[in-house]
Amino acid sequence: MKIPTPLLILGAIMPASALAAPASAEKSVVRVNTTMQAYNLIQPWQKAAPSSRLGLGAVLPGGRVLVTAQMVTDATYIELEKADTAAKAIAEVVAVDYEANLAVLKPTAKLDFLSDRIPFELEGRLQPGDKVEAWQFENNGTPVTTEIKVSKAEVSRYFLDSSFFLTVQASGTVQYRSGSFTLPVAKDNKLAGLLVSYSSKDQVSSILPASIITHFLKDIEDGDYAGFPNLGISYSQTLDEQFRNYLKLNGEKGGVYISKIIAGASAAAAGLKAGDVILTIDGKQIDARGNYDHPVWGKLSLSHLVRGKPFTGDTLKIEILRNGKKQPISLKLIRRPAENRLIDPYMFDRGPKFAIVGGLVFQELTLPFLKLFGNDWKTRAPIKLLMANANPEMHEKQGRRKLVLLVRAIPTPATLGYERLSTLIVTQFNGKPINDIKDLHEASQTPQGNQHRIEFESYPKLIFVDVNLAARVDAALKQRFGTIRRLD
Amino acid sequence: MNPEKRLSIVAIACLTTCTIPFVSSLRAAPVAPGQNKSAKEKSNDSRPIVNNSSKYEAVVRIENSSLNPDYRTPWNSGRDSGGNGTGWLVAPNRFLTNAHVVSNSRIVYIKKVGDAKPYRAKILHIAHDCDLAMLELEDPVAFEGVKPFEIGELPQLDTKVKVIGYPIGGERISITSGVVSRIDFLSYSHSAVDLHLTVQIDAAINPGNSGGPVLQDGRVVGVAFQGYSGNVAQNTGYMIPPPVIRRFLKDIEDGEYNHYVDLTMSEFTLLNPAQRAALGLPNDGLGIMVAHAEADGSAGGILKTGDVLMAIDGLPVKSNGLINYEGEDVNMNEIVERKFAGDVINLKIWRERKPMVAKVTLKRFLPYLISAKKYDQKPRYVMFAGLVFQPLDRNLMTAHGIKDLQVRYHYDSYVSDSIYKERPEIIVLTSILPDSINSYFSSYSQSIVDMVNGVKIKTLKDIHTALQKNNGDFVTVRLLGNGRPIVIERSRVTAAQKRIQEKYNVLRDHYLEEPAKAVD
Repeated sequence: MKIPTPLLILGAIMPASALAAPASAEKSVVRVNTTMQAYNLIQPWQKAAPSSRLGLGAVLPGGRVLVTAQMVTDATYIELEKADTAAKAIAEVVAVDYEANLAVLKPTAKLDFLSDRIPFELEGRLQPGDKVEAWQFENNGTPVTTEIKVSKAEVSRYFLDSSFFLTVQASGTVQYRSGSFTLPVAKDNKLAGLLVSYSSKDQVSSILPASIITHFLKDIEDGDYAGFPNLGISYSQTLDEQFRNYLKLNGEKGGVYISKIIAGASAAAAGLKAGDVILTIDGKQIDARGNYDHPVWGKLSLSHLVRGKPFTGDTLKIEILRNGKKQPISLKLIRRPAENRLIDPYMFDRGPKFAIVGGLVFQELTLPFLKLFGNDWKTRAPIKLLMANANPEMHEKQGRRKLVLLVRAIPTPATLGYERLSTLIVTQFNGKPINDIKDLHEASQTPQGNQHRIEFESYPKLIFVDVNLAARVDAALKQRFGTIRRLD
Repeated sequence: MNPEKRLSIVAIACLTTCTIPFVSSLRAAPVAPGQNKSAKEKSNDSRPIVNNSSKYEAVVRIENSSLNPDYRTPWNSGRDSGGNGTGWLVAPNRFLTNAHVVSNSRIVYIKKVGDAKPYRAKILHIAHDCDLAMLELEDPVAFEGVKPFEIGELPQLDTKVKVIGYPIGGERISITSGVVSRIDFLSYSHSAVDLHLTVQIDAAINPGNSGGPVLQDGRVVGVAFQGYSGNVAQNTGYMIPPPVIRRFLKDIEDGEYNHYVDLTMSEFTLLNPAQRAALGLPNDGLGIMVAHAEADGSAGGILKTGDVLMAIDGLPVKSNGLINYEGEDVNMNEIVERKFAGDVINLKIWRERKPMVAKVTLKRFLPYLISAKKYDQKPRYVMFAGLVFQPLDRNLMTAHGIKDLQVRYHYDSYVSDSIYKERPEIIVLTSILPDSINSYFSSYSQSIVDMVNGVKIKTLKDIHTALQKNNGDFVTVRLLGNGRPIVIERSRVTAAQKRIQEKYNVLRDHYLEEPAKAVD
């Protein structure tokens, strides 16, 4: 059997002086091989079968690699691989932002693994008409370059439902080679962005642009990642003339109507109210649709003024119309972390929080749990849970940090008669109000007699479980499942 | 009947596989003229099913022409339709049939065995909650001397029964036979919210049999009324048993139908020993826990969560909610079923480890009706500047296929979250008739109206009044779950209203009245 050595030799003779050369697919892009394993949301004590994802990363200064966050969700094992030599190194996540869909990796042990690579510089100045190159590899490690043309930019959804950021679109056919989840995009051999999706139907690529990458990298520099700020409003357009007259907006050019203020984010902290009209942000006129004129991209959503340039902690000057009167507002940008929401919008790299008592499985409600009801979860999931998701303030007002559900009852001697109960919101356990799963666990440690008393928001309202029987059942379940609770 | 409990069971089942089968009502299908003809031709060369048809003179064919309202265009008179079913003589010039045979009726004819002539009939009483109706002939002379049927007792399991009627498959009277398969407490699909005693038989019951008598020893022991479609279950037909028929007959004795009453509580089984121990009950399989008693219902303020119902009118209640009544294990609601508004039932309760007795005066509970299919009612609405407002009920949900979360929540939880107290009627902006006055509103349809000009909207009348009241330059309509109000300039309304009514052929811009009975 012949040993395929030529590639290895090539790698070995590459002179160190190459570092001074500009970035290239060959020297600045590495393969990233991830094994990912999410937790089972129905049986939270176990993980689902592992799967793998093969993608590409952009080499950054300091021996680090930039990938999309999608590449490292629930990662159990990450490997960097040089396309030319097939040399591999185990890597770990240095920083990740699932909302911005970005992550930085570094080798875990071989710290000089990337020293023979050429790190990218970033190129933030993209504009319509620019020709950029998507870089990838053939199976044999040969670089492949595809030229695409930048057409426009808009603020659109990244891979999570809840996060909107600037996305650049480019047109041109891109043939995908295997192992090319996420392609670095270069302009004049500098990193212009990451190609995150491609529609073969219209031959349009979506690129996560360098400006957002730069923002992310700057934020992680001090080792303390603050994340992108949230404005925390819902707004409506003011195109309707009757509505404009009603708002006394006739003299103004644009403006958007704040229809809802979300607690805990920037707008609430700055004292903005539902019913206010936002006229300008950072001196830029906001039109009746909620866009402003960007010097390069034209009309862009106002959210880019909040998340595109400024950082959490910065102050934005905005102008509002309240009760027909103009008013300047100094808006300090803050961020309400996703984990502080009543219902976690996403859950990666950790298991669902749960606790089993006598075979009753209690869990905190999360958006991924609601999505278990299928593609049409918005109509199929239990309506009380959907209402909580749409109006978390309903529960937050009552002091709830999380919604704890009785997800289901594993048939055991302790759950006799309760087999059909599922997705019930727990209000009290042993007489104590339940505001998160820890509350429930603590309350289960202090029964008032020989039975646990569990109260729900809806039918059947009240059940009891034998304390001693539950303890025996839980011990048996622990044997079977390995663990019967995860509180952190 | 207990829709609240039923709904929660359906919800639980749906989480797993949604196996609750759909009970199709035996709604008589209109007979196409072509079909009619071929059936007649066939009967010429095939032997008649019944030789001595006069034996069945008291079983009649009922033909109904109906006018079904369209809740999407509530100002229109509706869609013409029709169908046929069966009825039977229960007393001189009194014909009993199913409510669904003569629902939304415009005109009804009765046909006698061996008599080609249709006789015009009128609906005396129609009970949509138990799917029964009483008809009367304008001229009873054709049935003089015809002996009415007697009503028998609840038949025993595995005893023989005959079903007589005018089902599909031919024009003339048909007889099928079988045995009593099961006695249970089941949903009546005509209203979709009511549960009553029901008897399952394995005699074939087909569309057109509806309303017909089921006989045993020459007496009526049931009214054939619903079944599963053939690809769900076979030989599974249902009849309304004598207790339900007798209750209906007794109820209308005073000349008026007063509907069923309800305990208005949901109960939860006491099968888990820990429940029993916590509540201080011996492990003897008796007693059922009160999950919730609705405040404005019969048991409201009398029963509370955690009470245990031990006996109802002296009959011990088992932990699964059954009682032994007249030799059969039946749902404890069977006691309530036989009672009328104002009647009292005696309850033995176990509360905080002490026995108690309570008297509950029974009454009807109207909020349940939000999820009932409605008939014989003209849809109520208000149309203002092209915005169509209608009160929420099952007919509306079905007609508009509403997906909006707020609307679905208010519909589903109207009773269980006591929403009816805050808003007796939920007013929905169902659709928008496009016009220049409302051209930016299209995304707001199918939402619940919270306030109009600052006034909270609790009934259809409220919104009509609030919209008409001239108090300012703008009309603002606030919708639930939407922070941006709909704003209309008052000065533009009159012209727009006229334009829209003409363009969309809306004869009247509102209909608020509670409907009168639309017979004839």
